[in-house]
Amino acid sequence: MKRFVAILAVSLAGALPAVSQSLEDLNIQFHGYATQGFLYSNQNNVFTTTSSNGSAAWNEDVVNLGATPIPKLRVGVQARYFLLGNYGNSITLDWAQADYRFDDRFGVRVGKVMTPFGLFNETQDIDPSYMFALLPQGPYSIASRNSQLSEYGGVAYGTLKLDKLGKLEYRGWDGIRAVTKDDGNFLGQRESGTTLPNGISGSAIGAALHWRLPLEGHALMFGASDLYVFQKSGVISNTPTTGASQTTTNGTETVSPFSQPFIFAKYEHGRWMLAGEVWKSAAKQFVSLTGKATTESINDNTAWYPMLTYKVTDKLTAGSYYTQEFNTAAKLGPARYLKDWVISGRYDFNQFLYAKAEEHFIEGTLTDFDTTMNPSGLKPTTKLTILKMGVSF
Amino acid sequence: MKKSLYTFLLVALASISVVQAKAQVLVIANPSVKATDVSKNDLKDVFTGSSTSLGGSSVVPILLKAGTANEEFLQAYIGKSDTAYRAGWRSLVFSGQATMPKTLDGDTAVVEFVAHNAGTIGYIGKATPHDGVKVLAVK
Repeated sequence: MKRFVAILAVSLAGALPAVSQSLEDLNIQFHGYATQGFLYSNQNNVFTTTSSNGSAAWNEDVVNLGATPIPKLRVGVQARYFLLGNYGNSITLDWAQADYRFDDRFGVRVGKVMTPFGLFNETQDIDPSYMFALLPQGPYSIASRNSQLSEYGGVAYGTLKLDKLGKLEYRGWDGIRAVTKDDGNFLGQRESGTTLPNGISGSAIGAALHWRLPLEGHALMFGASDLYVFQKSGVISNTPTTGASQTTTNGTETVSPFSQPFIFAKYEHGRWMLAGEVWKSAAKQFVSLTGKATTESINDNTAWYPMLTYKVTDKLTAGSYYTQEFNTAAKLGPARYLKDWVISGRYDFNQFLYAKAEEHFIEGTLTDFDTTMNPSGLKPTTKLTILKMGVSF
Repeated sequence: MKKSLYTFLLVALASISVVQAKAQVLVIANPSVKATDVSKNDLKDVFTGSSTSLGGSSVVPILLKAGTANEEFLQAYIGKSDTAYRAGWRSLVFSGQATMPKTLDGDTAVVEFVAHNAGTIGYIGKATPHDGVKVLAVK
């Protein structure tokens, strides 16, 4: 049923620009996009799909409604159907907000808002906006979108002109981060029988600065952001998947306060784009089940990547990146790291329709490899081929 | 001597070509917009959603759907193809940072809209009649 809805949405895309225009007379806009992806891996199933046999279980359908009822005020909402393997398969709210832009120096948006950290977080799930089918998975894990993308709260933003020093863009945010029970961060727990029926939530604050240098004919930006997550907690339920006892036990999971700093840079000139980023996230998790001792686990992840794209023609873009992520708190072995060489291409048939083809050469199994879909055990390397088509309006 | 003259003529012809290329597109604004000129950087900021003000006035960009004037404007002042330009705006729309600017079918419609809507700024072909709007010099 959901696949039928997706196909219907794509089919209607051609007629919708006319609808968009008439609604625009009322200052209301309707936009959307849909993507369909195909994954094939030479070994190791990825993202909870059967990619080693080829998998088309990767689909997104997004609808966006916005209006400008009075000058400087924008209101809008965006909803998404997302499916990737066993992730998603539900309709969720991306964001719903009111945004008032006093002037270029200060604006504020409140509601469920995208969290503007790093180079790509605000756009990481907007497939039409970038050329790669998958962004570096360390900082931008597609399986952990819920924990990263948005929060309930507000963002203050603006741009300060610094004359000969260029421009300084700032963002500051505060809100509640709610991570759903099916988030990729909890995949290992679910496989061992532990679930969070209501997910896990806690407060988060952060800030970001982007310094854009005034270079004629070039675009150079240096940036930094930090996201600080206060203690998060949620109710858990554990039913052991092994052993004689299958008794369900309840308890609490708590994630200690942690920080996620990003440092990044981006350079654009003519047909070239060069970018790079370094990211770190270190957190402790405490699981307390009734009648049992509290267990503690630590993740201390660092990731980095350089990225390069080149616009071959107006319609064809080629690109590559290399990323590494490692968890220094994990035991030695492939599960401690992820290294990924990526070669990619994107072809824009027109302003509405595009296609992507991408090859990943992966070493390690730190991120997005699960044991349930790999009962024979994980191999240390994976070649992953991705084909994706999208339509947006 | 001949070489110098030849070089001078080449440079002069090139300069004329550049001037003519720039002059093929006019940037127009509603008379309520205070600015009389605009830098290329500020113009790009307005038409890519980075800025909503110009010379002390709040401004709203108006786009052309297609055509020669649209292509020349994007090439001269934005540095992107039409496809990439629209994709950039959609990126802002889908991340909640903007709404898509109003897009009109032709130069006449742009002049009509800009003339009657305070704070609007658009672009048209040089030969298009543009009564009721002011022309901003691009420096």
